Amino acid sequence: MALLSLVDIRKSFGGLSAVDDVSFSVNEGEIAGLIGPNGAGKTTLFNIVTSIYPPSGGRVLFRSEDIAGRKPHDVTRKGIGRTFQNIRLFPKMTARENVMVGRHAGSRAGIWRSVLRTGTQRAEEGRIREKTDELLAFMGLAGYEESPAGKMPYGHQRRLEIARALAAEPRLLLLDEPAAGMNESETREIHRLILAIRALGVTVLLIEHDMSLVMNVCDRLVVLNFGRKIAEGTPEEIRGNPQVIEAYLGKEEEDGGDA
Amino acid sequence: MSFEWLNPYHLQVGSFILINILLGISIYVTLATGQLSLGNAGFMSIGAYASAILTTQHGFSIPSAIVIGSLLAGVSGILVGIPALRLRGVYLAIATLGFGEVLRVVFINWESLTGGAVGIAAIPQMGREILAAVEAAGFSPEDWGLRNNQFISLSIFLILAAVVVLAILFFLRLLSSRVGRAYTAIRMDETAAETSGIDTTYYKVLAFSQGALLSGLAGALFAHATSYISPADFTYHRAVEILVFAVFGGSEALFGPVFGATLLTLLPELLRAISDYRYIVYGILVVLTMVFRPQGLIDPALVAMLTREKPAGGS
Repeated sequence: MALLSLVDIRKSFGGLSAVDDVSFSVNEGEIAGLIGPNGAGKTTLFNIVTSIYPPSGGRVLFRSEDIAGRKPHDVTRKGIGRTFQNIRLFPKMTARENVMVGRHAGSRAGIWRSVLRTGTQRAEEGRIREKTDELLAFMGLAGYEESPAGKMPYGHQRRLEIARALAAEPRLLLLDEPAAGMNESETREIHRLILAIRALGVTVLLIEHDMSLVMNVCDRLVVLNFGRKIAEGTPEEIRGNPQVIEAYLGKEEEDGGDA
Repeated sequence: MSFEWLNPYHLQVGSFILINILLGISIYVTLATGQLSLGNAGFMSIGAYASAILTTQHGFSIPSAIVIGSLLAGVSGILVGIPALRLRGVYLAIATLGFGEVLRVVFINWESLTGGAVGIAAIPQMGREILAAVEAAGFSPEDWGLRNNQFISLSIFLILAAVVVLAILFFLRLLSSRVGRAYTAIRMDETAAETSGIDTTYYKVLAFSQGALLSGLAGALFAHATSYISPADFTYHRAVEILVFAVFGGSEALFGPVFGATLLTLLPELLRAISDYRYIVYGILVVLTMVFRPQGLIDPALVAMLTREKPAGGS
């Protein structure tokens, strides 16, 4: 069953078309990959799904409801979490505080409860903290609770950002290049974590340039080039698709021979 | 028992320190979401004028006038805060500074209501009202070893001290809770805050109006502590003075502006001989702070160090 469906999504900035009539679905429980050369419109699509940009046209259906045009925080509440290509943590907060912020949508205390420190508020803070420490341990960050986020090693920051997104208990998690800049063993760890996240019941949509990670972890791939969808299918199908090979490697123009 | 050492002048300086602490906290609260508002002198004037008009012209009691004046400033904060969402950084600072100046011009020209440039005099004064109430109840400050003027200054000081303590407790708790985490997240990265599920519009307007309400409260208390206000009390200089409390004292911890307001109110009194040069001293202090300690004198690291040392010292 489709958890997320993009229908004829278009986005142009000024006269420049960044995404052009893209439609695809992500099914409940799968790990889907969104790949394509730089500038293909992958991150733009993420920004449209999370409502950071409104689409110029088309519909974003999440659990059969059109969420295009809603506020980003509302989209988060509906169950879509995300990370950013250029990590966006709250640098001067500790790792724990970062994840606690991620729990905002799932908690309620307002001004008066916070100031009066009611029993409800204290119990809620306790649950937020418990959940936070659980998530930090889940992402392999136990022991870093009190570290300032901005001073953590790069790979840890990537994982912390995922922990913050998971804190809102999303049904769909959008990961924008989670393995960018990571070495082989860190990438293996990310691979393991993505599978573990799916095992929690979270559907994953992934942008990634590391082809071996994408081919191994994803159930299905969608390929974009110049803002258009050029292919969709299982990793095996995509691997042999001539249009995809052309998008990544370019066409041989002179002899036209088969390489 | 004698309280001969209680000097009304010292108590008055103390009262000004307390009012300035409220103003320091007011700019800090808004700044906690990353919004630099220089409109707090304007919101202060709303609280001051509204409450003074209510007590002098409409027979309201002082406490109810102070509450209404503060709430009015808070509501104005919502009205200014919503369009202010579109502005960032220096643009917001300039727009809010302009707002304060516009208000001041309104107060100067609306003579029938505000007394124009002359201002409003003979505002009932909190201390004298309490004295009258005490005497009506058949007591006299003499019974407690206080002269009347000592009693008046002391009661104002104590009221302000109670308000300041409550304000500090309120915001310490607020800022260390879910709401405070939302404020800090917005200050550090608004987009990341929004995608973390925080309604950034709501919290930015909330912080803006909390700052406005607190400024209005400071203004209403000021009017009923000094019993005289005029547009000259709420000029551009006041706006800058409030900013300097935060810049000098520190804008990353609540006690930064509290400390800044205390020191910078005390300093001209200690150096009375050069009080004409107060703004020169301010300028030099700000420049030196920017050069040697850009985060202000008090920062979270210092607060953490001081609070961590307490249990160690006790053991």
